[in-house]
Amino acid sequence: MTQVKKIIASGLTEAEAIERAKGGDAECFEALYGLHKRRVYSLCLRMTGNTAEAEDLTQEAFLQLYRKIATFRGESAFSTWLHRLSVNVVLMHLRKKGLPEVSLDEALEPQHEDGPRKDIGARDNVLAGSIDRVNLERAIESLPPGYRIIFVLHDVEGYEHNEIAEMMGCSIGNSKSQLHKARMKLRELLKLSRAEKAARR
Amino acid sequence: MNCKEFQEVLPYIIESGGNAEEEEHLRTCPACAELVQDLRYIATQAKLLLPMHDPSPRVWTGIEQSLHQESLLREGRTSLWGHVTSIPAPAKSWTPVGWVMAALVLTAFSLVLINYHPQLPTTAPSAQNMSAQPVPLEGDDQQLMGRVSQQAPDVRRAYEDNLREVNAYITDARQAVERDPEDAVAREQLQDAYQQKQMLYEMATVRTLP
Amino acid sequence: MTRLIFAAGIGSVVALATAGALALPPVLPNDTRNETRMEIAADGTVNVINSAGVVNVHPGTGRQVVVVYTTHSPNLEVDTSTSPDRQRVEIRTHVLHEQKLSPEESRVEYDIAMPAGASVNVSTATAPITVDGVSGDVELSSNTGEIVVRNVAKAHVHIRGIASAISLSNITRGHVEITSTGGAVQMGGVTGPLVSVGTTSGNITYKGDCSGGGEYRLTTHSGAIDVTLPPTASVDLTARSVSGSVVNDFPLQEKSHVSFVPKAGSSFAGTSNSGSSSVELQSFNGRIRVKKQ
Repeated sequence: MTQVKKIIASGLTEAEAIERAKGGDAECFEALYGLHKRRVYSLCLRMTGNTAEAEDLTQEAFLQLYRKIATFRGESAFSTWLHRLSVNVVLMHLRKKGLPEVSLDEALEPQHEDGPRKDIGARDNVLAGSIDRVNLERAIESLPPGYRIIFVLHDVEGYEHNEIAEMMGCSIGNSKSQLHKARMKLRELLKLSRAEKAARR
Repeated sequence: MNCKEFQEVLPYIIESGGNAEEEEHLRTCPACAELVQDLRYIATQAKLLLPMHDPSPRVWTGIEQSLHQESLLREGRTSLWGHVTSIPAPAKSWTPVGWVMAALVLTAFSLVLINYHPQLPTTAPSAQNMSAQPVPLEGDDQQLMGRVSQQAPDVRRAYEDNLREVNAYITDARQAVERDPEDAVAREQLQDAYQQKQMLYEMATVRTLP
Repeated sequence: MTRLIFAAGIGSVVALATAGALALPPVLPNDTRNETRMEIAADGTVNVINSAGVVNVHPGTGRQVVVVYTTHSPNLEVDTSTSPDRQRVEIRTHVLHEQKLSPEESRVEYDIAMPAGASVNVSTATAPITVDGVSGDVELSSNTGEIVVRNVAKAHVHIRGIASAISLSNITRGHVEITSTGGAVQMGGVTGPLVSVGTTSGNITYKGDCSGGGEYRLTTHSGAIDVTLPPTASVDLTARSVSGSVVNDFPLQEKSHVSFVPKAGSSFAGTSNSGSSSVELQSFNGRIRVKKQ
């Protein structure tokens, strides 16, 4: 998981700004907002696929941050702590809306029946090298909500299955299964998008 | 093992690897091999997605309003991009080490942005782009110039010239703070200078221009 | 994804349907002019990403975003998309297959008509940006393209530029933040609860009354700051430069409580009329001058 550390405009270190924000320093809190808003908002947007919801959730995450910052003890990186808080805000919101059930019952469609492919020469169908960021973002946005949440948490944000299982209240097996379905769906969407573009030329 | 059986267990083995029979199927079945390659590629590309979107200014306005209503914040102006508001405040305690730490954080930021793009060329600015007596750009600034190396010549020149100007700004601001650590205006000017540099880095690295 | 309406091939012209459309240049061989329309929510945002060419944004009619664009190369296309909730419309110039295009080939001229209330976010490398008369928020950034914003009221206007000349006129009751490294910033009739401009070497010119009881903060390292105020301006003004000259030709009452000791030639502070708006001018070695209109 990568993190971008930006300068706190006050010239203080982030740790100093956090300590001051704990004491109610508005300037430092605003600086922390500026530092982390993009990552929190991007997370909310990717998980919900809805701009208005993402903005509301970003606002709620930072309000919760302000209320809870006194409890931050530095056991983890501040950004990790804030990120986890933001994920919980989103998940709580989605639960209130009726979070899609995570189930093992759906059978996955096999790619084809027993035996090797007949069109074995069609290697140009592989995706490798053909995805750009824009297409991937759009495809993620198009995922059904349940798939999107797991995919964003695991592949984009880097949470492990045991962490996701704990957050989502499901089993590790469910998390792996949903992630796989999400990736399969993305594969389908990305190949379709590539075929559409080729047809337009 | 046939494809149906393999693909049923694939969700649980794609990261950790399978048993001998599963690995053998993967080795010998082009369709399943292609499937696994695609899925792993999607996962790899997802890891490279950066936080790309900023919330609208309304979000901060809403936060401020809520905190004011809860009487948790003093009055102050709103701002964006990490601006610290210029609320008149009692002189803050300021350690000389503070601005050094700020510079180190900027360096860390620059090193992290390099890690986003490991294949980024690290060519130094070409000699023809450098005027007779400019201070050579070093380290992270050089890496930044590498990041914009594919841009039009005018754009590269703009980055190079303005990087130097901003570095001079930071130097002057640091010296002012050194002279009088209690000078609130000097600290504000240092934060403005860092903000200029932050903007340069952001515009060079987070842009999604074709 | 929104379907694009493609024009016929080379040399053909698609009829323009945008009210208030600017006079676009004639279509030349190898040019392709297209139009696309997209639905957007009432408070949605239009995002435009274009490297070179031109981006013009102005109000339209109806609830659709109407985009008319001209490309000059078959190796380049314009991707458009709308988020499922219609809050976000994206218009992006996309170079195909990582081609290397000439400066002329890489240009795309955009004319974008926006519905009332929608916000706009434009990012370019060298393409100039003009935004005139929109009613939503405006967020613009460019490396070197000139940026012009006119006739915007009660909105956030945020601009970032490296070597872009930036010009704002008739921006009222705004929340204006400009960060420009080397590009000059010119403001005429710009007022609001907040007007904050920071440059490194870019000059800053302000003509207006700093009205509205807001905070006006113009800071630079080595650029020149020139402020021209009418006699009716109600300001609480401070100006300081570390080593640049500071000249005041505007009548001010001395302030009794100042956090610094004004020094002739380097700093001054005072109020005019009821001192409603706070105006701070700061530089390192750029000169500062305040004049009466």
